[in-house]
Amino acid sequence: MLKKNTLIFFFAVMLSGCGGGSSESADTQSVPESNSSDASGSSDDSGSSDDSDSNDNSGSNDNSGSNDDSAEEEPSPPDISTSVSSDTYQAGEKVSFSVNLSEQDAKTSTIEWQQLSGPTIEITTDLTVEFSIDENVSALDEHYHFIVTVTNEAGLSSQEEIKFSVIKAMSEQQSARLLHQATLGPTYDEIQTATGKSYEQWLDEQIQLPITYHSPLVENYPDRDEPSQINRIDAWWKASLNANDQLRQRVAFALSEIFVVSDLNTSLSGEPEGMAAYYDLLLEHAFANYRDLLEQVTLSPIMGVYLSHLGNEKADVERNIRPDENYAREVMQLFTIGLNELNLNGTNKLDENDEVIATYGQQEIEGFARVFTGWTFAYSARWNRPSRNYTLPMHAFDDYHSSAEKVLLNGEVIPENTNAEQSLAIALDNLFNHDNVAPFISKQLIQRLITSNPSPGYVERVAAVFNDNGDGIRGDLAATVKAIYLDNEARGLETPLAHFGKIKEPLLKTVQFWRVYNTKSLTNRYFTWNLPTTYGQGPLQSPSVFNFFRPDFQPGELVDTELLAPELQIANDAALIGIVNTHYADLVWRVAERHDELNENSLYLYMQDDHELINMNGLSAVLDKYDILFFAGNMSEEMRQALIDMDEFFATRDSYQRISNLVYLISISPEFTLQQ
Amino acid sequence: MNRRKFLSYCLKGGVSMAALTQLQLQAFQGSLSYEFDDHKALVCVFLYGGNDSLNMLVPIEGEARALYEASRQNLAVSNPLSLSPITAIDGGVGLHPSMSAIQPVFESQNLAFISGVGSLVVPTSKADYDNEAVPLPKHLFSHNDQQATWMHGREKISLNSGWGARLLERIEQGGAFVNNISLAGTNPWQTSANLTPFSLHQSGVSRINPINGTSNRATHVRDIMTRVLSQSTHPLASTYGTKVQSAITNTEAMNSAIESSIDLSSYFSDSSLSQQLHTVAKSISVRQTLNAKRQIYFVSMGGFDTHDNQLTTHPALLGALSQSLAEFNTAMSAIEASNDVTLFTMSDFGRTLTSNGDGTDHGWAGNQIVMGGAVNGGEIYGSLMTQHLDGPNDTRGGRLIPQVANEQYFSSMAQWFGLANSELVDLFPNLTNFDTHSLSFMNI
Repeated sequence: MLKKNTLIFFFAVMLSGCGGGSSESADTQSVPESNSSDASGSSDDSGSSDDSDSNDNSGSNDNSGSNDDSAEEEPSPPDISTSVSSDTYQAGEKVSFSVNLSEQDAKTSTIEWQQLSGPTIEITTDLTVEFSIDENVSALDEHYHFIVTVTNEAGLSSQEEIKFSVIKAMSEQQSARLLHQATLGPTYDEIQTATGKSYEQWLDEQIQLPITYHSPLVENYPDRDEPSQINRIDAWWKASLNANDQLRQRVAFALSEIFVVSDLNTSLSGEPEGMAAYYDLLLEHAFANYRDLLEQVTLSPIMGVYLSHLGNEKADVERNIRPDENYAREVMQLFTIGLNELNLNGTNKLDENDEVIATYGQQEIEGFARVFTGWTFAYSARWNRPSRNYTLPMHAFDDYHSSAEKVLLNGEVIPENTNAEQSLAIALDNLFNHDNVAPFISKQLIQRLITSNPSPGYVERVAAVFNDNGDGIRGDLAATVKAIYLDNEARGLETPLAHFGKIKEPLLKTVQFWRVYNTKSLTNRYFTWNLPTTYGQGPLQSPSVFNFFRPDFQPGELVDTELLAPELQIANDAALIGIVNTHYADLVWRVAERHDELNENSLYLYMQDDHELINMNGLSAVLDKYDILFFAGNMSEEMRQALIDMDEFFATRDSYQRISNLVYLISISPEFTLQQ
Repeated sequence: MNRRKFLSYCLKGGVSMAALTQLQLQAFQGSLSYEFDDHKALVCVFLYGGNDSLNMLVPIEGEARALYEASRQNLAVSNPLSLSPITAIDGGVGLHPSMSAIQPVFESQNLAFISGVGSLVVPTSKADYDNEAVPLPKHLFSHNDQQATWMHGREKISLNSGWGARLLERIEQGGAFVNNISLAGTNPWQTSANLTPFSLHQSGVSRINPINGTSNRATHVRDIMTRVLSQSTHPLASTYGTKVQSAITNTEAMNSAIESSIDLSSYFSDSSLSQQLHTVAKSISVRQTLNAKRQIYFVSMGGFDTHDNQLTTHPALLGALSQSLAEFNTAMSAIEASNDVTLFTMSDFGRTLTSNGDGTDHGWAGNQIVMGGAVNGGEIYGSLMTQHLDGPNDTRGGRLIPQVANEQYFSSMAQWFGLANSELVDLFPNLTNFDTHSLSFMNI
C-alpha cells in the first residue's frame, strides 16, 4: 500500500569520500533481488511512461532485460546489503540506516531511495541515512519502509528494503495524562504499567480487552428475590472501580451522556436489569459501528419506554390519535444530527443571510414518528399482551406499524406499505448517512473525553475518521476513539491551546479517589443512594434526556469569551458545597485505618500505601507521587507549596491525618479539577 | 444601589473594569435611577417538560365542551371543578379536578390564570403561520430551546441573558447575591453576563464541614483553601475556583441569616416542590436581615413531558403542584408577605390536543398560573382558547398558536416589581410588535 506522500530519492554517487564504513553490521539476510528493469536510471518509476524515450539507458525496459545481456561478458548487478541500527526506536533517538556496496560499485552506481511508508523523511546523504524523530510532531507510532535501488554502469540494479518502527513510548507523565483522559480515574499502578508503552499500544490493548459487562454484577437486593435500583448502581461501581477495560468503561460512560436514558423518578427505577442491559449495550458497541449502536439504542425497550416509542401505534384518525413524536424528535436533536446543519469541523453552516439552517421540520418529525410505530417488548404474545422483557431488543407488530408514506431527511421518502423492519432500516440509514452525524457525535465525544473547546480542526480530523476509517467504513467508533486520543491537540503537541482541557465530572473525581484508595465496604456493596443529589449526576440518572449538562453550556463567568464549560452547568453553589463536604467525608472521615471498628455497610478508603510512603520517605516523596497520580505531572509550584503548608499543621499528628488532608486539598483544587 | 455603586461593587468584588465589555456596561445604563424601601419577590415555578396546561382549564358545557371532547377524546378531563371568574365565560370553565387545593385560592382572588400564552415574536394568525409570513420563535416544540425562550424573554441573540437577571440589573438590584436565588440550580432565567443565581440548598442551611467552626485546624484549612481556589490562570479552572470560593462565602452568609428564621415546616408537605418553596419561604422570612429589597427566586418541578401514561401521571403532577402552591400561599400569609410576593409558572410549551394513544406531544400555547396578594385574582386573563382540533388557531395536530406573548405576561410582573413603563421594551424587545405591553393581572 503506497502512501500518497511517497517520495523517491535519487542520488548520483561520486567517487570521493564515501563513508560506507559507518554501518555497524552487514545485513546477512539480504540477497540481491533480480533486478527490476523499470527502475533503471529513472527517477519516476511510478507509472509514468512519458519519459521512457529520454532514458539514455539502452533498451532493457521491456520484457526481461537480463536475457538480452546473456551472451555478453557477464555484467552482474551490484552486490548490496543494508543495515539499520535497530528494529525499533524510541521518539527522540537517532535513526541510522545504510546501504553497503563495494568500493567499485560505489564509484560507478546510482543509488535511489524510495520511501513506501512512514512520515516523509528528507534524505540528505547517500549511503547512510540519519535522522532524529522529533517526539513533538505526532503521538502515532511510525512504521517506516524504505527501498533502496542501486544501479551500476551496466544498467543493472539491485534492491533492498529496510523496515523499522519508531515507538512513541510514554513517559510516566505522558501515560498519567493519557490515563486521566482515557480511564474513569487512573491508579498509580495503572500509570506505571502504561509507562513505556506507546499511546497506540495502550489504546489497542484496551480496545482488545474482554468487556466487563455490568449485568452479571447486578445482585439481588439483600433478602429479596430480585434486584432493586441500588443493585445496578452497586454494579456500576464494581465495574467502574475494578474493570481492566477502563477505556471502554470511560467511553461507555460518555455515550451514556449522549444516548441518555434515566431511571431517576421514572418507571424505569423498577427495571434495574433492563437498565444494566442498556449500559451493557453501550459497552458492547463502544468500539463497534455507530450505525449498529444507533439501532440497538433505538430498539432497546429501556429507550422505548424512556422516550415512549415502545407501544407507539399508527394513526387512528377517528380517535384523533397520531404517532408519538418523542423519539422521532430526540433521536434527531440529540442522538444523531442536532438542530442545525453543521460543517465537518462542527461549526454551524450559514445561509445567505448568515442564519443557521435547520436540519429538519415538523414534516420530518412526523415521518420519523411513523417509522417508530409498531414496536413493543420482545416475545410479546400479542400487541396488547406485552412481555415486559426489558433486556432484549424490541420486536415489531406490522399491524400496528404505520403503512403511510414517511418523509425522512434530505427529501428521502419511505413509500407506502413498507413494513416496520424495513422502515426502521431505511430510516436509520437515512440518519446515519446525514453529513451532520460525524461532526455532531465526534465533537460531543471530544468534549466528554478530552476538552470542552476543541478547535474546529480537531473536530474535523476526528469527523473525517468517523466518515472513513481508512478502509472506507463509516461510523467505526474504535477508529474514531483512537483518533480522538491520538490527535496532536489531545496530546498537547504543537502549540497547546491556552484553554485546552475540561472540568472533570464530579462523579469521576470520586471514582478516581475510590480506585486509588481501594474503597470498599466489609459487605462489598456500594449502596450509594442519591448520587444525583450528591454530585448533580449519577450513571443513567439524568433529570431529562438533555443530560446533566448541555454541550454548549457557558457559565456567566466566561460570557466574554467563546469558551464553553459544560460540566459547570451542575456546579451551582449548593452542589459545590455538597461536593466539598463529600470529598472531606470520604478522604478525612472514612479512612479505614483511622477507625477502630468498621461499620459493615459503610464504605471506607484504605490509605496504608501512602501512610507508609510518608513515614518512610517523607512529604516530598508523597508529593512527587501525587504530582503524577492526580496532576499528570503538571502540579504547579504554587500547588506544591500549598500542600506543604497544609501539611505543616498536621505534621505532628498521625500520618493518616496528614495524607487525608493533603488529598482533601487536592480534591477541591482547580488544578486537579481540570483535566488536561 | 445605583449604577455607579453597582460598578464599584463589581470592583470590590474583584470583577475588573476591563472584564466588563461595553455591551455589559450598556446593560446598566438605564436612563432611570431606582431606589426601593420596600421588599418584593418574584418566585418562578418552572414546570419542566411542557405542562399540558390547556387541560388545567377546561370547558364545562355547550359547544366549547363538545369541541373539547371531540378534540381530546380519551384524554379529555371529566368532572372539572367549576370556577367562577370575575368575567363569566360562555360554557363555563372548570379547573382540573386534581387541583382542588388552589380552587379556594382562586376564589379568594389570590390567584389568576393567564390563558393562551406562549412564545411569539409578533401576533401570529394561522394564515401567517401557514404562509411563513411572520417571524416565528426558533425551534418551536424543542424542549431546551423553548425553555430558553421562556427564560430569556426574547429571541436568541449572541450574548443572551435571562429576563429575571436583566430585570434585576435594570432596576439596579443585581449586586447582592441574596436578590437572585435558585433552589433548582443553574438556569438561564437568572443568568446574565454579570449575574449567576446563588444556589441555595433545599435544607436552607448547609454547613461546610472542612472549615466549620473556629478551631485552629478549621482556620488553617480555610486559609489554604482560599489560596488554592484562586490559584489557577486557566479560564475553566479559575472559573471553577471562583465558583467554589463564592459558594463558600455566600453560603456562610446565608447560613447565619437563615439560622434565625422562624420555623415554617408545619406549612409544607414533603414533595420536592413543597420543600423548595419551604426554603424560599424561610429565606423571605429573613428578608430584613438580608436587607433584600427586590428578590427573584427559581424553583422547579419535572415530569411534565407526558408522552405516555398521561391519564395517570398528569393528574398526579397537577395535584402536587396545586398542593405546593396552596401551602406557599398560606405560609406567605403567615409571615405577612403575601402582598410582596408573587409566584408564577412557566413551562416549555403547551401540548397537542391530539393524543398519541396514551399521551400528548409538544405543543405551543398554554395556560399559566400567577399567585399572590398583589395579583388581581379570581380571573382568567389573556384568551381562554377553544380547544378545537383543526380550528382557527390550530397549526396542525392540535398545536395552538398563542394569543398572548409570554413577554406580555412577563412585563406585567416586571412592572409590578418596579420597572418603569418606559423601560419595559428595553427588557422585552418583542413588545414593540404588540399593541398592549402588559396585561392587567397585577395590582400596581
